[in-house]
Amino acid sequence: MPKANTFDAIVVGSGMSGGWAAKELTERGLETLVLERGRNLRHVVDYQTALQDPWQLPHHNRPTQQDRAAQPIQSTLYLYDQSTKHHFVNDLEHPYRQAQPFNWFRGNHVGGRSLMWARHVFRYSDLDFEANLREGTGIDWPIRYADLAPWYEHVERFIGASGENAGLAQLPDQVLQPPFEMNAFEKHIRSRFAARFTDRKLICSATAVLSREHNGRGPCQGRNQCARGCPFSAYFSSNGVTLPAAAATGRLTLQPDSIVHSLIYDDSKGRAVGVRVLDAATKRTTEYFARVIFLCASTLGSTAILLNSRSSRFPNGLGNDSGVLGHYLMDHHNGGGAVGSYSRLADRYYRGRRSTSMYIPRFRNVAHREKNFVRGYGYEVYTSRQNWTRGLETAGFGAAFKNEITRPGKWQVYMEGYGETLPYEDNRVWLDPDRPDPWGMPTLVVSMTYRDNERRMSEQMMADAVEMLEAADVEEVSGFNRATIPGSVIHEMGTARMGRDPKTSVLNGHNQVHAVPNVFVTDGSCMVSSPTQNPSLTYMALTARASAYAVERLGKGEL
Amino acid sequence: MINRRYFLQGTSVLMAHASFSRVVATFLASRTAVAASSRAPVFLSAAELGRVAVLVDMILPETDSPAATAAGTHDFVDMALSACASPKQQATFRSGLTALAVDGFDSMSAQDRLVWLQRRAASDVVLSYDESFFKILKDYTLTGYFHSEIGATRALAYERVPGGFQGDIPLAADQKAWVI
Repeated sequence: MPKANTFDAIVVGSGMSGGWAAKELTERGLETLVLERGRNLRHVVDYQTALQDPWQLPHHNRPTQQDRAAQPIQSTLYLYDQSTKHHFVNDLEHPYRQAQPFNWFRGNHVGGRSLMWARHVFRYSDLDFEANLREGTGIDWPIRYADLAPWYEHVERFIGASGENAGLAQLPDQVLQPPFEMNAFEKHIRSRFAARFTDRKLICSATAVLSREHNGRGPCQGRNQCARGCPFSAYFSSNGVTLPAAAATGRLTLQPDSIVHSLIYDDSKGRAVGVRVLDAATKRTTEYFARVIFLCASTLGSTAILLNSRSSRFPNGLGNDSGVLGHYLMDHHNGGGAVGSYSRLADRYYRGRRSTSMYIPRFRNVAHREKNFVRGYGYEVYTSRQNWTRGLETAGFGAAFKNEITRPGKWQVYMEGYGETLPYEDNRVWLDPDRPDPWGMPTLVVSMTYRDNERRMSEQMMADAVEMLEAADVEEVSGFNRATIPGSVIHEMGTARMGRDPKTSVLNGHNQVHAVPNVFVTDGSCMVSSPTQNPSLTYMALTARASAYAVERLGKGEL
Repeated sequence: MINRRYFLQGTSVLMAHASFSRVVATFLASRTAVAASSRAPVFLSAAELGRVAVLVDMILPETDSPAATAAGTHDFVDMALSACASPKQQATFRSGLTALAVDGFDSMSAQDRLVWLQRRAASDVVLSYDESFFKILKDYTLTGYFHSEIGATRALAYERVPGGFQGDIPLAADQKAWVI
């Protein structure tokens, strides 16, 4: 075995989960190789657009027809413009097949989507972990809140998050910096909710954005241009937080442009001994070896690697004795909500661009099932005073028009629900070897649809949003309930789920592949259900927990 | 310049945190300025560019802030039509300009031009964006102007690095709306 290619641990992927595996494994003493399929992207110095003014960006920040042709999927994302387009893949160079419409938004570079994420960080509760068991849906989570609570705290203390604890059992309190201030309209909505509802409240979202200095980072400078990369390190990203911590140990080797083809399984040892890597530029294959392997390549990325890791022992993909690998794909759905305006409080304004939202925690089906669907949803709530864009839809022009639209307009509110999606066996991914990608790798095929439970939930999401805005005296309230294309919320979950029984799951309660215990999968692919809340904090906590467990078992000679 | 001043204010907050001020200072020094330059039109003919210049100033004339052409908005419209507009939108815009020329816009009095544009706005505002000469014109005019340095810093209020967030403050009498 060539010594130069041998490490204690290999981590595949450098994003949200991979960064945490790198930090925890190196800090616990392991020489760790992190493989990233995309290019290197250095913190701060490679954030080329971070401080550019609108007039300094090409085409005043408008995407061109050429951009859209190269990135027909990525360019439909709300974040996509001239200041961020280089953080998203070229769709033509990174093909996948949509057996059903599916938006796969991603960036191949060091840091992955931790660079462009929306930064909400909520904990799951036992309402979530017990839901499958209680309803007989899917399989039971092999863990409960108590297993994860210390790891949530561990992660929160390190990443630094701000926001407001709701004091609700279904949304456990967190370690948070003080929240960013609400504006006058939000304060009004909050007080109306308090007067009108016993089960609903408006809070400032728990967000991985610093309202105070934290370990030499931040605080937030109020730019709200996070997806360009933050030169102030004020939001959490792998690039700015976990990878530097891993590098500081002297035990990190970070290798970009390294596409993992498959895991190498040794029949005689009954374990994975390493990974086969394609150089992104030369396409040459190199093998790397380690005692423990963490797959953190994103939900679809990790599952694609497992499916492509075929051997006589695992003809259908590594760890796929159960046959469930690739199945039970989930995403949230956010098609239901409402908009409105408010002409009072015209003498109040704000300064700076807050990069967080307001949040209404889940209130449906909490104490008992009360509706014609199971599970629930929370809302993200965005408010502002209208700006010049209100002039776009009118016939107006001229001096009076200009004077009007350059002044702050009415308050406006936009709220959309984020609903849980149930795990369905036939929402799934598989490999198509007949359509290789530019590296000769089989492309991924995705087939996912929302079902009756999600549709009924979405109707109620709209109805509740309208009811709440009307209760807050909001004017011009208009509800919406539109179809969400799966993938669009960018919360892909499942396809290599955890479970108690190797016959029905890929991973155990420590994120270990049941049949190959030195392989851990800790990104969103491990999810057993898709609770209401944004999932990244849970991936980080699961990764930290699994890393500590792996090192402990290695130390005892049990791995 | 007001944006520069605000930027420095934001930076001074940052510099209080010595632990990372050096890396940011290096980063700022490495930024390359993008110089504005005037050039020959790429999508429009010179005559069409002249008509667009008249139109953008009718939409956003000089008030207590400069007119659209002072910010190069007509050049932006030309460039955006070339690079950002779809073929359908380009065709809609081209036929709108043709209709304008046929109507004798070039030789109209200012009052007649105003009537012409009001009529066009009223008939176009109900059309879909792709079919609407006025909506495309207005979109590029407003984007070009309010994302220009003049538009952002003199017609609106702009802070590149606000330095933080104040959620609930009184609205000053002369307060302009923030740039998005």
